[in-house]
Amino acid sequence: MEQLLQLFLLFLKVNLLSTSGPASVGLLYHEVVGSLVTESQFVQAVGLSSVLPGSDALQLAMYIGYAVAGVPGGLVALAASILPPTVIILGITFVLHRIRREAWVSNFVEGLAPAISVLMLFTAWKIFQKGGATDWRGWAIGIVSLIGMMLKVPERLVVVIAAIVGIFLFS
Amino acid sequence: MNRLKLLVWTRLLWMFLKVNILSPSGPASIGLLYKEAVGKIMTEAQFVEAVGFSNVLPGSEALKLAMFVGFAAGGIPGVFTALLGAILPPTVMMLIVATILERFQHENWIEGFVAGMSPAVAALIVVVSWELFRASSRQKIDRRVVLIAVLSAVGFWFEVPSPVVLLGAGILGVILYGKRSF
Repeated sequence: MEQLLQLFLLFLKVNLLSTSGPASVGLLYHEVVGSLVTESQFVQAVGLSSVLPGSDALQLAMYIGYAVAGVPGGLVALAASILPPTVIILGITFVLHRIRREAWVSNFVEGLAPAISVLMLFTAWKIFQKGGATDWRGWAIGIVSLIGMMLKVPERLVVVIAAIVGIFLFS
Repeated sequence: MNRLKLLVWTRLLWMFLKVNILSPSGPASIGLLYKEAVGKIMTEAQFVEAVGFSNVLPGSEALKLAMFVGFAAGGIPGVFTALLGAILPPTVMMLIVATILERFQHENWIEGFVAGMSPAVAALIVVVSWELFRASSRQKIDRRVVLIAVLSAVGFWFEVPSPVVLLGAGILGVILYGKRSF
């Protein structure tokens, strides 16, 4: 029960401090890896949620919730992730015209964005480093993936291929 | 009258189920949603406004956009219909995959699978981070964006807890961007 409450508060916090689904990865990493899930579980969660159709952020949240506390954990993570945007939208539909002039809200989010980008870079480096594949094989997969994504190859295809290549290279 | 409402909700639910099964991620759903919603449920201007709001408010943007469209179509019940359509596909899929994957967790090949996936996931995060950074500096990268980025980097480097850094960045945004003339 305590674990479920912890999950709930965690995802509430992450969803209040990030502006979009993908941006929550950085913050989530710092909040859960080591304490709630292992590095390997986190990588699997990010990889799978970008491969499966549907919102990445929700899938990521559910996978982590599930890894921590089974199906109830997954559902609690889901609930905590949808609560902040739902409350905000319901609030906004009532005060839509007033909040438009509340410039500070959008300024806050604008200030948040560069910080989130930097956080994500740090996270990317940590995931790479702790993934265990920092020899030429890891760098090769990483660089080829990066080039592929910059050339607009669908991200889920890149992740799946990288994982399959990994099975052959590392096993 | 009630049957008409039910029809609206059913169509709304179906639309969001479709959008969420066909799109790989939140931001990718915007294009699909545009085609489904504009002209039928809301005007182009309303849609643009909804996208703008979704980007500006905290929380998953895809969900907020879905709820805006739902509201335009069917008021508050429309919001919940949209929400249901948006969360059902990822929930079902994730729970199935998580259950299957747990069974394989101790197989040998999972190790290679994860080791291969890590660099690709890192690359994915770099790409998203770059897109986010570019989107945040509207026309050109101005000094304020760089200042916030550098300060955050220093903060993370010295292992200041990340929520603290993010809160600080947001407050800095209020101060720095607040001087814009309105």
